[in-house]
Amino acid sequence: MDQEGVQSFLIVFSIIAFCLALTVILLFAIFQKRKNKLLREQQEAENHFKEEIIETQIEIREETLRNISWELHDNIGQLLTLAKIQLNHADESPEKVQEAAETVGQCLTELRSLSKLINPDTFSNLSLVDALKLEMQRFDRMKYLSTSLDCNEETFSMDAKIELIIFRMLQEFFTNTIKHSKASQLEVRLKYDENLLQIEARDNGIGFDTSNQKYFKGIGLMNIKSRAQIIGAQVEIVSKLGEGAQLFLTYKNTPS
Amino acid sequence: MLYIVNFLELFTAVVALLTFWKYRSSNERYFLIFLWYTFLVEVIGALMGDVFYIDNSSVYNTFTITSMLFYFYWYHSILKKAVFKRVTIAFTIIFLLVAALNFVFENWNTYHKYSFFCGAFFILILTIFHFQQLLNSNEVLIVKYKLSFWISTALLLFYMGMIPLFFLIEYTGIRGLSYRIILISLNLMLYGCYNIGFLWTKKEYNRF
Repeated sequence: MDQEGVQSFLIVFSIIAFCLALTVILLFAIFQKRKNKLLREQQEAENHFKEEIIETQIEIREETLRNISWELHDNIGQLLTLAKIQLNHADESPEKVQEAAETVGQCLTELRSLSKLINPDTFSNLSLVDALKLEMQRFDRMKYLSTSLDCNEETFSMDAKIELIIFRMLQEFFTNTIKHSKASQLEVRLKYDENLLQIEARDNGIGFDTSNQKYFKGIGLMNIKSRAQIIGAQVEIVSKLGEGAQLFLTYKNTPS
Repeated sequence: MLYIVNFLELFTAVVALLTFWKYRSSNERYFLIFLWYTFLVEVIGALMGDVFYIDNSSVYNTFTITSMLFYFYWYHSILKKAVFKRVTIAFTIIFLLVAALNFVFENWNTYHKYSFFCGAFFILILTIFHFQQLLNSNEVLIVKYKLSFWISTALLLFYMGMIPLFFLIEYTGIRGLSYRIILISLNLMLYGCYNIGFLWTKKEYNRF
């Protein structure tokens, strides 16, 4: 190769090498940046989920404490007051002692079921259906309203955190039913079908206007929607004034 | 030494064959046939040129057209956005037109530069489309295990080098050995990327 040949070769070679080096560096930089962004987004979503779980657990515990306080006051307090009155009249009518004993016996039964509620271990080992059963039994016992729980035979178990959030969503609906709807009946139906869970809850109360956004927020129903979004479930709250309220929840389980 | 490129092609074709089970159910499976086809064409071209001293430009012209069409077909099947697919079809039509014009106006026995430039330029754009698709999907995390990523990288780098090379041949009169050295380096890169792709790819990331 002569002098000129070498020169032209070097020029061409350097230009090409430069183009290629530029391409490679650009490619690498762009892919790295995108990868980091995606990883960061995934991490954020995970953190958000964890925060929500912790909040849900705290709310459930608060609700449990609230329920216990009501039960102690309304149920057990009244039974013991009754027993006291019966014993006060024991002088006049000796059979009142027997009645008082029965009342105290009733009180004991109530206390036992109440202590089950307080124990955090029972709660964490319960399945969704069992937890709902306990909750509705409590409503029956407190004579708030009459309940019915319907569930098909083959159930599948899901991630405990998901079950926790679903339970909390239903609990909020129940609280709304008891506090605002003046209903006399609460029906809950669960359908487990090949990794698809469908839950239907309905009450026969006074209902509310679902188009009224402020009302929605005020009675904690927004929480139900945002929680559904976090776990990827579809939830619909349907209600009309005078026609009670219904909750429809659909969740597709991804078995791990 | 002069047949390094042929050796590279043979090596890549064999590697493609041995790792075929990894990408058997994806769109890249046709590359196995394509790589062996490339190797055969080059062998015939070398035989014609160096052993029988016949002019082998016709072989390379046909090869340019068929290989470009194959790449366009592969990109059409890989790109998901409707816009990209339509652009690929447009490119194919334009390329065929250019090739036809080239065929009419130039002797079949000289290398058709214009079809090559046209095809190479379109391929560059298609690789960029493909990269954009990969970047915006969730697969960006495991992109180094996807065979299609490495094929696109190979094509991008190769044609990024070839276009200036062909261009500068006109203006600097670079010939013979210098040209061959650059060509060999570019081919090394091309088949290097292909081989990395075949060796690194994992079966679960090569779905249809």
